[in-house]
Amino acid sequence: MFVKMVKNDFIRNKIITMTVFVFITMAVILAAGAVTNIGNLIQGISKFQESAVPADITVMHAGEYDQGKIDRFTDQYRDHIAMQETMVLQNIYGSNIHFGQNQTMAGTIQDISFVLQNKNFDFILNLDNEKLDVKKGFVAVPIYFMEQHDLKIGDTITVKSGWYENQFVISDYARDFEMNSPLTSSKRFVINQDDYNEMLKMQAGELEYLIEFKLHENGDAAAVQTAYNEAGLPANGPILEGEIFAIFNSMSDMIVAIVIIFISMLLLVIASLCIRLTFLATIDEDMREIGVMKAMGISRKDIKKVYLNKYRIIAAAAGIIGYLMSFAAVNLLNRNMKLYIASDLSGSLNYILALIAPILVYVMIVMYCKRVLKRIDKISAVEALRSDIMERGKNSFPLLKNKFFSTNIYMGLRDVGKRFRLYRLLLVIFIVCTFIVILPVNIYNTMSSPEFSSYMGIGKQDMRIDLRRTDSITEDFKKLQEELQNDSDIEKFAPYITSSYQVRNAEGSWDYMNIESGDFSVFPLKFLEGRAPEGEGEISLSLANAAKDGLNKKVGDEVTVKTDGQEQKLTVTGIYQDITNGGKTAKAHTSLGVNEEAILWYIVSLDLAEGVDARKKMEYYQNAYSTAQVNDIKEYTQQTLGNIINQMGTVVVGGISVAIIIAVLITALFLRMLLSKDMSQIAIMRSMGLTLKQISHQYMAGTLMVLIFGIIFGVLTANLLGEFLVSLAMSSMGAAKIEFVHIIWQTWLLCPLALIIAVGLTIYISCKVAVKDDLSVVLRS
Amino acid sequence: MTNIIEARSVTKKVALGKDNELHILKDVNLEVEEGEFVSVMGPSGSGKSTLLYNISGMDRITSGSVKIKGGEIGSLKEEELAKIRLETMGFIFQDINLLKNLSLIDNVMFPALVSTDADKNVVNQKAKELMKMTGIEKLADHTITQGSGGQLQRVGICRALINDPAIIFGDEPTGALDSNSTEEIMSILAEINKDGTTIVLVTHDIKVAAKTERILVMADGNIVSQKKMRKYDAQRDDSKEREESIMKWLIENGL
Repeated sequence: MFVKMVKNDFIRNKIITMTVFVFITMAVILAAGAVTNIGNLIQGISKFQESAVPADITVMHAGEYDQGKIDRFTDQYRDHIAMQETMVLQNIYGSNIHFGQNQTMAGTIQDISFVLQNKNFDFILNLDNEKLDVKKGFVAVPIYFMEQHDLKIGDTITVKSGWYENQFVISDYARDFEMNSPLTSSKRFVINQDDYNEMLKMQAGELEYLIEFKLHENGDAAAVQTAYNEAGLPANGPILEGEIFAIFNSMSDMIVAIVIIFISMLLLVIASLCIRLTFLATIDEDMREIGVMKAMGISRKDIKKVYLNKYRIIAAAAGIIGYLMSFAAVNLLNRNMKLYIASDLSGSLNYILALIAPILVYVMIVMYCKRVLKRIDKISAVEALRSDIMERGKNSFPLLKNKFFSTNIYMGLRDVGKRFRLYRLLLVIFIVCTFIVILPVNIYNTMSSPEFSSYMGIGKQDMRIDLRRTDSITEDFKKLQEELQNDSDIEKFAPYITSSYQVRNAEGSWDYMNIESGDFSVFPLKFLEGRAPEGEGEISLSLANAAKDGLNKKVGDEVTVKTDGQEQKLTVTGIYQDITNGGKTAKAHTSLGVNEEAILWYIVSLDLAEGVDARKKMEYYQNAYSTAQVNDIKEYTQQTLGNIINQMGTVVVGGISVAIIIAVLITALFLRMLLSKDMSQIAIMRSMGLTLKQISHQYMAGTLMVLIFGIIFGVLTANLLGEFLVSLAMSSMGAAKIEFVHIIWQTWLLCPLALIIAVGLTIYISCKVAVKDDLSVVLRS
Repeated sequence: MTNIIEARSVTKKVALGKDNELHILKDVNLEVEEGEFVSVMGPSGSGKSTLLYNISGMDRITSGSVKIKGGEIGSLKEEELAKIRLETMGFIFQDINLLKNLSLIDNVMFPALVSTDADKNVVNQKAKELMKMTGIEKLADHTITQGSGGQLQRVGICRALINDPAIIFGDEPTGALDSNSTEEIMSILAEINKDGTTIVLVTHDIKVAAKTERILVMADGNIVSQKKMRKYDAQRDDSKEREESIMKWLIENGL
C-alpha cells in the first residue's frame, strides 16, 4: 500500500513533482556554486597575499619628502616594524596615455601611475601570481585597464607628457594586491628601471610617494599609525591599513556569492511553497486513505513516511545532481576571480566544502516536510473518513451580502476568504515576485536620478568641474573662476577646495581628514540633521565621520582641527550622507582657510542659464582645461558608482524575467492543483446548470484578487522594507537613510501591469475547465 | 398528455482500455409524460443510474436520441445543455452533493442567483418558503457540517426546486437515509409531483418505488418490464398494499 501510494503520488503530480525537483536542483547548484566560490576566494586571496606580501600600513603623500626622517622613525619603532619601503609613483594623466587607434585613457576616474617593482614587499604580480620582472621597453598593465580598454599582450601604449614620449609593449598584466579593485582609485603600471629613470629625468609625471610599512607578526598597526601622525611625518594623503586591500579585493566576488546564496534561498522558499501546495492538495485527497490506515492501526510515523519518502528521494536526487552540476556552474561565476585573484583555483577542499549545500538543502527540505506533515497528527481516523472535514468553517460571506458583484465573481472572491490558507501561498509568491521586480527598479531609479547626488555629499547642480593636482592647478583654478564669472551662459557657480587637515580623533590623537571648504549656500545639500556651515568656526560632518567608529560627534559638538600648526575648535552644525571617499568627508566654511601644502583637489559646481546647450558647454570647458574633469552631475554619479547602475539595469531586466517566470509557473501549478482538488465541486455546479465559462470566471476572479493584493503588498514591501534594507547595506558606505526616488508610473503601473498581463493570461488559460469525462464519473465517484 | 422525455434507441458505451468497451445501455426506449412520477429499479450494474444521467443530459449518449420537452439534447453544445439543466431540471443525488463552502440557504439559492436577472430578495423569499415546506427553515444559516443526512437531502430537494424545474431527476435520493427520513423525503417528493412536476428517480427500495406511479425494471442495460399504478395519495394510507403488489409483480416476472 505504501509503495502504491508513493507511486500514485508521483504519477498524479508529475508536473509539480518535476517543478519541485528542478527548483531544489537549481537551489543546490547555486548554493554549492556560491560555497565553492567563497572557498576559492578565501584560498585564492590567501595565496595571493602570500605571494604579494602587501604592506600593513600605506601612507600616501605628495609634495616635500625626506626619506631620512622615515628611516629614523622606522629605526625607532623596530619593535613593530619589520620592513619599510617607499615607492615613488610617477602619476600620468589618462589623456597622456595613448593606445590603439588614437585612443587615450582620458576620462578615467582612476589615478594612473608608473612604478618600479618593489624590492622587499608589496610586490605586483603577473597572472601566475609570480613577481613581475619587466624588461626595457615593456610594461605590465593593470587588469582593470586591460578589461576597460580590451588591451592584449603585444599591444602598445604610448606615454606623451611634456617633452617625454615613449612607446611600451605590453608584456604582462599586473595583478596588484593593493590596487587591483575598481574601488581603489589608483592603478599602478609596472615598467623597467631604465624606462623609469628616463621618465623621472624628463619629469613626465607628478611624483607621489607610497610610504609603506611591513610589521612584525605581532606588531601593533594602530600604535605605529598614531606614532607616525604624532611625529608629523609626511602624510597629506590617506593612510591605509592592510586589511582594507583584502576587503576591496574580495568585495565584488563576495557580493556576487551572497547574491547567489540569496537567490538560492529564494528558490528553496519557492520549492517549499510548491511542496506545501502538493501536500495541501494530496493530503486532502488522500484523507480517506489516511483515515483507513489510521483505523487499521498503522502508526502516524509510518503514514508520514509515505509522504516523506517521496521528498527524501527528490531532495537526495536533486542534491546529488545539483552538487555535480555546481562544478560546471562555478566556472561561469569565477571569471572575475580567476582574473583578479588567482588563475588556478583548483583544490580538493572545495569539493568537501561544497557538500555543505546539498546536505543543508536535504535537511531543510525534510525538516520542512515534517513540519507540514504534523497536520496528519491532528486528524483522527473518524474525522479523516468524513470527507468534508477540511472545509469546516463559519458561515461567513453569505451570498445575500454581495452588493457589487455578480454571484459568480462573488463566489470566486469569497472562496479566497474561505480558503485563505490555500490562497495565501499564492499571495506570498505574488508578493515575492513583485518585490523582486520593484526593488531593483527603485534602486535603479534612485541611483540614476540627479537627486542621488545628495548621497554623495553634493547639492543639486547641473555640472561640476574637478581639478586634480598639477603644477598649474592654482593658476588654472583662478583662471577658471574668472572665466566662469564672465560667462553669461553660467547662471551661478561656487568653488570648493578640498585639503587634508589633521583632526583630533575620538581617542585624542591626530588623524588626517579631507575637509572641503566653500560657500555651501549656493548649492544647498540635503542634511540628515542640522544645517550647512554658514560662518566662521562651523563644520559639518559626513555620517561615517560623525559615527561612533569615526569622530563620534553629534550636532553641536566641537571638532579640533589643526590649521597652520594652530588648533582651532569648530562646531558641528550638521550631518550629511556621503558615499564618496570611503564615506569620510567634512565641509567647512571658507573662513577655515586653505591648507596650502595639502590641497587635494578643487571643484567648481555650476548651474547653466536656461536654454544653454550643456553638452557644448561641457566640451568647451573640457578643451580649455585639459587636465580637468568636466561632468554633468548625472555622468558624475555614473562614473563614481562605476558600473553599479548598469549592473542594476541588468538586475531589473533579470528580476522582471525571473519574477514573471516564477509567477506564471506557480500560478499555473496552483490552479491545476486547485481545479483538480475542486473537481467534485465543479461537477456539482455543472449539474446545477452553471456553464464552464461561469465556473472559470469564479476561479479567475479569486486568483486575480490575490494577484492584485499581492502586487499592492509587494510594492509597499519593496518601497518600505526595500528602503530599509538598502539603507542598511549602504550605511557601511556612508548613506544610512536612502529615500527611494519613485517613478509612480513604473512602480504602480508599468511593472504591476507586466505581472498582471503575464499572470492574467496564465490564469485565463489555466482556468479553462476541461471537460473530458461525463459528469456522472465525478458525481458518482 | 404530452411526453416530456422521449428516449429512442439510446446506447451508452464506455471505453475500458484500448480495445475494450463496456456496453452499459443497449438500445433503450423510454417515454415519460408530463407530471408523471417514475421510478427505475434493477440490480446493481443493470444501467439504471446511467439511464438517468444520459436522459438528463448530464452524460453524453453514444447513439440514439433524447428529447426533453420536444427538443433534441444529444446535439446541444455544453452551454446550451447547461441552460436546460439550470432552467428545466433539478437533480437530487444519493451523496447529496452540496457546495461545501456555502451555508444551507445559500446552497438552495445559488442556482437561482447565477441567472443575471435574478432578484435576490425574491430568491431569498422563495428559498425560505421551500425550506419551510421541507421543515428545515431553522437550519437556513447552518453550514453543511451542521446537518443530518435527512436534513441535507431536504436542502438538496429545495435546491432542485428553486428554479421551478419541469423535471426532477433523483439518483437514489434516499439511498443513504434511514427509514424515517426516507418516508419524509418521499412524502415531500409526492407533494411536489402533485403540483405537476415530473419526477424520475432510481431506487432499489420497494418502499420508495411504491410512492411512484410507474416502475421500470432494468436488467443488463435495457428496460425489461414496467408496472403502472395509480398515483400515490398519502390520504389513502395504502402504502403497504402498493409495496406488496410491487413485490408480487417482481416475483411473478422473475425479477
